[in-house]
Amino acid sequence: MKILKHIALRIVMLTIILLSTSLIYTKYFYESDLQEHSPIINTIRELPIETDILYVGESSNLMYAEDDADKRTISKMIAGYYPSLTIRDLTKQASHAGIFKSFLRAIPKEKNIKTVVLTLNLRSFGAGWIHSGLETPLRKNTVLLSDQHPIIKRFLLSFKGYDNDDEQIRDHAMKRQWKVDFLDFPYPVKYTNVVDWDEAMAASGKRDAEGKLDSITDLACHYIKAFAFQIDTLTNPRIQDFNEIIELAEERGWNLVLNLLGEDLEKANSLVGKDLTFLMDQNYALLLDYFKRKGILVVDNYRAVSTPYFIDQDWTTEHYTEEGRKIVARNVSEALEELHKGAFVSPDK
Amino acid sequence: MLFNTLDYILFLPVVIIGYYLLNAKYRWVLLLVASYYFYMCWKPEYVILIVVSTLIDYFSGIQMGKRKIKKKRRPFLLLSLAANLGLLFSFKYFNFFSETATAVAQGLDLSVHFPVVDFLLPVGISFYTFQTLSYSIDVYKGELKAERHLGHFALYVSFFPQLVAGPIERFSSLSPQLKKANSFNYDNLRNGLRLILFGLFAKMVIADNVAPIANEIFDAPELYNSLAISLGLVFYSFQLYCDFFGYSIIAIGSALIMGVKLMDNFSTPYLAINIADFWRRWHISLSTWFRDYIYFPMGGNRTSKLRWTFNIVAIFVISGFWHGAGLTYVFWGLMVGGLYVIENTINKLLKINPKVRPFSIEHILRATKTFIIIGLSWIFFRSATISDSWVMFDALFSNFGLEGEVLEIPTNIWILLLGFIVLDWILYNKRFDTWIEKMPFIARWSIYAVLIFSIIVFTGVEEIPFIYFQF
Repeated sequence: MKILKHIALRIVMLTIILLSTSLIYTKYFYESDLQEHSPIINTIRELPIETDILYVGESSNLMYAEDDADKRTISKMIAGYYPSLTIRDLTKQASHAGIFKSFLRAIPKEKNIKTVVLTLNLRSFGAGWIHSGLETPLRKNTVLLSDQHPIIKRFLLSFKGYDNDDEQIRDHAMKRQWKVDFLDFPYPVKYTNVVDWDEAMAASGKRDAEGKLDSITDLACHYIKAFAFQIDTLTNPRIQDFNEIIELAEERGWNLVLNLLGEDLEKANSLVGKDLTFLMDQNYALLLDYFKRKGILVVDNYRAVSTPYFIDQDWTTEHYTEEGRKIVARNVSEALEELHKGAFVSPDK
Repeated sequence: MLFNTLDYILFLPVVIIGYYLLNAKYRWVLLLVASYYFYMCWKPEYVILIVVSTLIDYFSGIQMGKRKIKKKRRPFLLLSLAANLGLLFSFKYFNFFSETATAVAQGLDLSVHFPVVDFLLPVGISFYTFQTLSYSIDVYKGELKAERHLGHFALYVSFFPQLVAGPIERFSSLSPQLKKANSFNYDNLRNGLRLILFGLFAKMVIADNVAPIANEIFDAPELYNSLAISLGLVFYSFQLYCDFFGYSIIAIGSALIMGVKLMDNFSTPYLAINIADFWRRWHISLSTWFRDYIYFPMGGNRTSKLRWTFNIVAIFVISGFWHGAGLTYVFWGLMVGGLYVIENTINKLLKINPKVRPFSIEHILRATKTFIIIGLSWIFFRSATISDSWVMFDALFSNFGLEGEVLEIPTNIWILLLGFIVLDWILYNKRFDTWIEKMPFIARWSIYAVLIFSIIVFTGVEEIPFIYFQF
């Protein structure tokens, strides 16, 4: 009896401590934590109750060239085609479907959104992005967005209750995947994994006295690492993320539109050659087919943007100049007409 | 698996419950599986290194145990040394030597490039190799009987609470406890939880919150004035201490719940009155390892003054090199070893009392002096390169003005750090679990409340791994 009393008293004390912690945290600290770790919550809160189109994207919806006359983002340009509609965006650099999923789940059910447009970035399906060092901070930013009690969320944040692998581990996982993922071509090729291909490309370049590779070969190597992969719909985590988003959209009654972003195929071809564009085309066709079969509207910008319209000529990004953004925005806007009949206004008219 | 993660919070109770539910005869199986799982959560394939190290030392131990004459045991000791130090060299030091050799060759106008390998440094390799080496050496010296049970030996090498960052335990102390049929003990549970709680506070609340401030200074010291750099050094000193001290007492607490008493690894080191005292209080399991297996065999202090000086400096240089494959660690060892000898000589010349009355003015002054010396030595310890260290020293001793970037330190960080310093003073020569035991109920639970609240609400959320994992 004495021991039971002893234990009961301690359980009561612990309960009091935890309840008080919860009350104090929720009242005095939760909001500042949200502002510090998940500032996207402000954009989510500011979404009007009735939103016609919500554009969700990564840095392709942020970047512009310094000499662009029109520096509007893709989502703002889309809004230009639909002046009568309420259009908002949720944009976070380096994000992908896994992060978008958390943003979308954080949208309160009372907010009525008709259409959600998500960027579908081919590169985000590759090992270079999946195992990026930015993944841990991105995942951390989503912890406080979940619909659990504030103290539980803070507990998860404190005790790393999210995918928190360090950069070294991610880097090794990336290199390992580049090594073990067999690249299956229907014709004979010299290299069947990214590591061998990358090394052969690097060996063909010129190095300066400090061993630094010439910029053209370096960029070619980067293209190989960014695009030389084959999507397996059963195991690729991004496919799983998109599937969950599709389920969420069905549950919430959103029209889901995927904006397949344009890639610099001309550069991929000139730097690396047809073997790389073969893989890119194969992944493109697979994604298009996969999502179309699921009944999702996919806006195909894959070949829409040509080399001069990419801002970063020395890196692989989907950052477009004004012209590039206009092309993508126009294509998305025209596709959206099907869902928002009569609202489309061409600025040219 | 890290101690300050949800994974460990779930893992530990499962192992403990399983441990007490199982027949004592089979507990080693559970602990061994749990330990390997614990390690494999980080990088599964690297468990092979532990297995290899275990098998070689088990075999060496058995073979040495069979031979009565020391000379005949020597080949097996050499096998154990070669295997363990070979692993350590391959994974930790190979690139350092290769890059140094390339640099030397280039300095001599030779176009030679020695290869470097892209290995991920296996977590805890310096710890478990030293632990298992101590076993081989003890068996060789005839001070220990060789373990015949491979499972028990494997568990000694890999016992999860202390596998990746110590305390580095001796076989004679740890293994009998792992074999013992410990029955559940409420006091052990209570004290273990107390230590885990305080360890989490030290790591998550103090170390992880002061780390970004220390990083800011170390990343660009030239931007700050001497005062800001001094503050940065103080913050780094506490980051390092709380990070490793926190880890150690979580390890000790976790083991204690299972009735296994690990050695104390820290004893309020920043209250040490001289450098020798500091090393009796800081990373005690490593200091005693070096003392027993390197310093004493070298002759210790029972030798000439010159030889003793060499011994001391050599031990600190080796200790520096144990911490990391880099010249900064060698310089750190040289600095600490050199200052150790100088301070010892001055103390003897001036006949300074080796003991002080705790908390007296003399204690405070001498502890401050020691803290400053040790704090300065951390510059080498923390810097990525020697030139970075010079930049830091240069900025510290030249930017005396008030200009420079402003180091912004949030008020709550000050409060938490000062709170910890006060607690550390109170815990001088005491351990948290035994100290809090004597507190009145309300005071004790008030402290628990502050610790729990701080751990949940004030934990730093930057990804800062345990510093000693990289060693």
